[in-house]
Amino acid sequence: MDGVVQLQKQLVDYSASLFDEGILDEQFNQLQQLQDESNPDFVVEVVSLFFEDSERLLNELGKALEQQTVDFKKVDAHVHQLKGSSSSIGAQRVQKLCIGFRNYCEELNTEGCLKCLQQVKHEYSLVKTKLETLFKLERQLIAAGGSIPT
Amino acid sequence: MEKKADEIHSRSCECSPTPSTPMGTPLRKVLDRISGFATPWKREGTAPRGRRIFHRDVEREEFQYASTHCLSSYYSVFVARLAIMVMLAILIGLLTILTWHFTKSYTTRSLNGLAYGLRNELLQRPIVRMWNILNSTSEITTAQLKLSEYVFRRYNKPDTQAEQVELYQAMRDVTWALFASRKALNAITINYRNGFVQAFHRDHRSNNTFYIYSDIVNYSISASGSYDIKMLSTHQGWNDQSIHGNVSAIWYQEPLDPLTGEKTGKAKPIPPDDLINIAGLSQVPDGVASWHVAVSKYSDSPLLSAALPVWDPSNESIVAVVGVTTALYSVGQLMKELVEVHSGHIYLTSQEGYLLATSTNASLVTNSTKGTNLMMAVDSDDHIIQMGARWLQRAYGNNFSQSHEIHAENFKFGHEQYYIDSFFLKLKRLPLVGVIIIPRKNIMGKVDERAFKTLVILISASLCILFIGCICIFILTNGVSKEMKLRAELISHLDARRRAEASSNYKSQFLANMSHELRTPMAAVIGLLDILICDDCLTNEQYATVTQIRKCSTALLRLLNNILDLSKVESGKLVLEEAEFDLGRELEGLVDMFSVQCINHNVETVLDLSDDMPKLVRGDSARVVQIFANLISNSLKFTTSGHVILRGWCENSNNSFIDTGKFALDQKKSWTTHKVKLKQQGSQMKKASKKENKMVLQFEVDDTGCGIDPSKWESVFESFEQADPSTTRTHGGTGLGLCIVRTLVNKMGGEIKVVKKDGPGTLMRLYLLLSAPVDGTEQHCQVDFANHSLVVLLALRGSMGRLIMSQWLDKIGVFTIKASEWNELTQILRELFSARCSVRNNGFDAQRSLSEPLKNKVLNIQEMRNPVFVIVVDIGLLDLSTDIWKEQLNFLDSFFGKAKFAWMLNHDTCNAIKMELRSKGNILMVNLPLYKSKMIHILEAVIKEKNVELQKKNSNGLRTTKEGDLHECLEIDATQFDIASSDDSDMSEIGSSNSVGVFHTGEKRRERTRKPCYQQIDNCLVELTCVHSKENNLTEKNPCQVRPNSHDVEDEEASLSAEPQGENAECRERHLGSRRPTLQGNLYSSKAVNEQKSLEGLRILLAEDTPVLQRVATIMLEKMGATVIAVGDGLQAVDALNCMLSAEDCGRGSLFEDRNTRSQTEIRGSPPYDLILMDCQMPKMDGYEATKIIRKSEAGTALHIPIVALTAHAMSSDEAKCLEVGMDAYLTKPIDYKLMVSTILSLTKTAA
Repeated sequence: MDGVVQLQKQLVDYSASLFDEGILDEQFNQLQQLQDESNPDFVVEVVSLFFEDSERLLNELGKALEQQTVDFKKVDAHVHQLKGSSSSIGAQRVQKLCIGFRNYCEELNTEGCLKCLQQVKHEYSLVKTKLETLFKLERQLIAAGGSIPT
Repeated sequence: MEKKADEIHSRSCECSPTPSTPMGTPLRKVLDRISGFATPWKREGTAPRGRRIFHRDVEREEFQYASTHCLSSYYSVFVARLAIMVMLAILIGLLTILTWHFTKSYTTRSLNGLAYGLRNELLQRPIVRMWNILNSTSEITTAQLKLSEYVFRRYNKPDTQAEQVELYQAMRDVTWALFASRKALNAITINYRNGFVQAFHRDHRSNNTFYIYSDIVNYSISASGSYDIKMLSTHQGWNDQSIHGNVSAIWYQEPLDPLTGEKTGKAKPIPPDDLINIAGLSQVPDGVASWHVAVSKYSDSPLLSAALPVWDPSNESIVAVVGVTTALYSVGQLMKELVEVHSGHIYLTSQEGYLLATSTNASLVTNSTKGTNLMMAVDSDDHIIQMGARWLQRAYGNNFSQSHEIHAENFKFGHEQYYIDSFFLKLKRLPLVGVIIIPRKNIMGKVDERAFKTLVILISASLCILFIGCICIFILTNGVSKEMKLRAELISHLDARRRAEASSNYKSQFLANMSHELRTPMAAVIGLLDILICDDCLTNEQYATVTQIRKCSTALLRLLNNILDLSKVESGKLVLEEAEFDLGRELEGLVDMFSVQCINHNVETVLDLSDDMPKLVRGDSARVVQIFANLISNSLKFTTSGHVILRGWCENSNNSFIDTGKFALDQKKSWTTHKVKLKQQGSQMKKASKKENKMVLQFEVDDTGCGIDPSKWESVFESFEQADPSTTRTHGGTGLGLCIVRTLVNKMGGEIKVVKKDGPGTLMRLYLLLSAPVDGTEQHCQVDFANHSLVVLLALRGSMGRLIMSQWLDKIGVFTIKASEWNELTQILRELFSARCSVRNNGFDAQRSLSEPLKNKVLNIQEMRNPVFVIVVDIGLLDLSTDIWKEQLNFLDSFFGKAKFAWMLNHDTCNAIKMELRSKGNILMVNLPLYKSKMIHILEAVIKEKNVELQKKNSNGLRTTKEGDLHECLEIDATQFDIASSDDSDMSEIGSSNSVGVFHTGEKRRERTRKPCYQQIDNCLVELTCVHSKENNLTEKNPCQVRPNSHDVEDEEASLSAEPQGENAECRERHLGSRRPTLQGNLYSSKAVNEQKSLEGLRILLAEDTPVLQRVATIMLEKMGATVIAVGDGLQAVDALNCMLSAEDCGRGSLFEDRNTRSQTEIRGSPPYDLILMDCQMPKMDGYEATKIIRKSEAGTALHIPIVALTAHAMSSDEAKCLEVGMDAYLTKPIDYKLMVSTILSLTKTAA
């Protein structure tokens, strides 16, 4: 039982650190609250949806920005989508970067956009690994027979 | 100009000593600096002043970049000026010099030519004369020779004495003839071989003519005839012998008549050679003619003598020598004449330098011991001639070259300059040199003088021109430099303006961007605090602290909102909402809120709204509340004691004038005057507003604070402006409040100003233009209290509130008695009730202390039949500092049966008192301040109780339950005041009125809402059952139990927001949220979520392209019990809607059978979905487009599906856009759970 308690503590600490570092925000809490018996894997489901969607968007963004003449409208739309989805799961650092990204889009600043894309990619991979670790911990906890602390 | 300056600049560089290499900017700057330093001295002080001013300006404006630019151009102007002046000076100088030079040199040259000619001419004439003399002499000599030869041939070889004499006589005659013909001759001599001499001599001075001859006796013909050829070689010796040998010879001089030659006197002997030179044989040594210049003893002028030998006819020997002497005197004479005319000196010299003739009277002969000799020119007595000769000798040496003619112009002698010219006359036998010396002054004097005068005039003229030119340049460039300066200033001003505009733009941009960023963390802070408050394990103290933090956070949020509002208004982005709201209730809430603060510093907050105020108006409730909140808080800030009154009345209807009666008398005068003004002011607006169904609502905020100086009445409404700068220190604040108020009021078509007030303090008056609700069925329905014979005893501490309340009660027909302190209250109570009990025995004892009008009132009341007494007691009247209040309560308790007590509590009244009161059966407890709706509420409760009592008499069985209900109800009411008193008492008021209204649905008061839908009633009933279930807990008064009550409030709020008042629920929600953020976030607690599936049965179409968001929103909605159909874009949404519409046509009605809460008509008109959540930005078709299409398809039908926008944009312009295309509400991402639910509920309920 000690292992379970330790795991629980680890999980709590880890998720707290995610909030402290500003990687996640209140919205993620809301997601977790929405998860209940009827939707046991809701958070994982949504987050993996987010991963899929984001990877697609990042790919398209990369392609769009490599073009000779950059279609900033398209880029802007993609970034907007990314911003919406990231804000929905509470990945606020990605979301904030997206705001800056859109400003560059409005200025038609290709270099700024590319820079932002790199940053967004970086933040995205960061949030992805963090969330995956979080889910891994949760799975371990459930496997050990504990319940996820709220 | 710039270019020109540069040009000049570079040109000036050439003039200046600085090397004019290609001008790099640094070099140029240095040069500018140098010239800038150099110019001040040259510019006589004007320049440094200008420069200093410029410097100061620069320092003030601190535009370094612009200033260096300006400075350099400023310097270049100076340099240009200087350069132009120098150029001008040089030009004028050159012109002057050239003019002078040409004038002078030309004149000089021509004059020199003339002078040369003149000098030549002058010298030529004496020379010609000399020449003539020589010629004539030679001619005479030749003639004499020929005649002598003829005579000798005639008398060839005279052998005898007689023949000899005859020869001599003939010779004499011939010679005389020649001598007489030539007057200029000095002498003619004939020297015979034998030594006989014949001569004629003419003395020019005495004008005598003489014949000179030697004694003929001494000469023998034989002796004389012994000449032979041999002797020719030694003829010198002969001559000498003969001459000198004849020492003993006697010469005779015979004066002659100069004309006839007759002998006029006796001959007298003279020494030989004494008088004249007799040309002897020695003078013709080689037998040819000879010339020489001789000097005679008797004349001071040199003589020119010529000698020729006379040969005998056989040409073998010389028989005689003929000599002719001519005086050069006449040449000197001529020279003198010439010099008299022309001045100067002329002299002739022989080649050796002996003077022959001069123009002076100086003697030409020296009488030395050796004899008479000719004088050298260098030794001349005449000074000038001497100097001239010496100069010539010095310059050219002794030997005048034959060909050289010397012309020297600048021979200086003494103080004067002379021209000196010498000519060489080349005669065969007698070379001559002529020299002329003329003083320069004579010829050039006038010219020089003229030249000098011309020079002076030219120089002065050019100086004048230079001076004028410099002034002109200065004046001209002064304009240019001024222009430059102005231009530089203009440039810097433009620059400054551009920067200011840019920074202003940045500011508004920044604020707009910050709006989201600032509010989010604040919302998070507040939300977290709410979570903390919900936590069960907090101690009381912690709870209080957290509550305090929450309050502060709310205040901070409000401040942020203020600033953002202002920036929004300034950037023109503020969009006013147009929704119905209950103005009275809003203001009551506001006053409740502020009364809490008032009590802290003994200020009374009074709300005084006239009865004709419309209950419902359309407008932006949040903004209206903001206006009054700012005004009241401002008034409170500056009021330390007294009251703050918020008055309101409607200007639209004519009866507004009647209302003046309710104002205090002292204000009446000023009122009427103001009214006239306001009426004029508002008259135009009224005309316009009538058409749009608009009302002019007048408000006043009246305080008794420190007041505002009249000069600041306008400026207090400016940004960051406070009446007194020290207020920031004493009262704090940013000075933004009134500015926001004014902009908001103006935005609502109103006006605000400070109005003169009689007493101390400030009176702010404003009017707003708000439109009446569309249905226009507003009612001022009041319970007719007059019929219930009510008597209200107002025992209130605040005099203003008491006065206003009693006036109003009097007006609606309720008797009032006023008491301001405990003693007064007890007196009145005793009087009233003791009098009633024993009205006949001792009624007037206690009335002694009462004033006259009060007595009358008491008397009136005593005459009333069966009066109902309502005693409104301010808790402040009790002495709470000691325990006396319990006795006071006991005293009041004795009147319990006879009158109804209503207690006015303070927000900080401690629980012990409340419990005590409650234990004594006092159930009517309300928080201060007292205003109309609270009063109505109290009266209604009292009347109800009375009715119940009446019913109780009729039927005993019913009584218990009813009474119990009523008690509970009222107790809830009171408790809720208790709970919410901390900072949102307005809410409690709303809640209380609702709960009361719910219980007495049949009552008149509730009837005014007229359209209560079943749904709402259902909800309310459900909520009330919850309340009932918790009732037991409430009575325990455990502080921890307070929190569950907040859920009750929440529930009620939900029902409240669903009230069918046609309000835009979203706005309403936001408004509530802004004032009561405590309540937000509570719903997040899982309990609230689980407890309630408020969206049960709703069908919601979700159009959202982002899968994540789609999923999240779906789950959220499904948790609330709604059915969600999710689509990916706007096109699909439209399709889904159309599809459902057509499907619905087939099977309408069956779909919604289970929804029994709806009426038949609603079902018939209802669309397939109850609501659409529409993302704004989607691929294929965005939310705006989709909404437009949906609304278009709805046109003509009665359908109206509520559409809620989902957008990540937080600006109200986006909101405006959403509402413009036909959406009903607006939610921002990330989705706020509670906000979404309330929005959806309000929209669906409204539709239902």
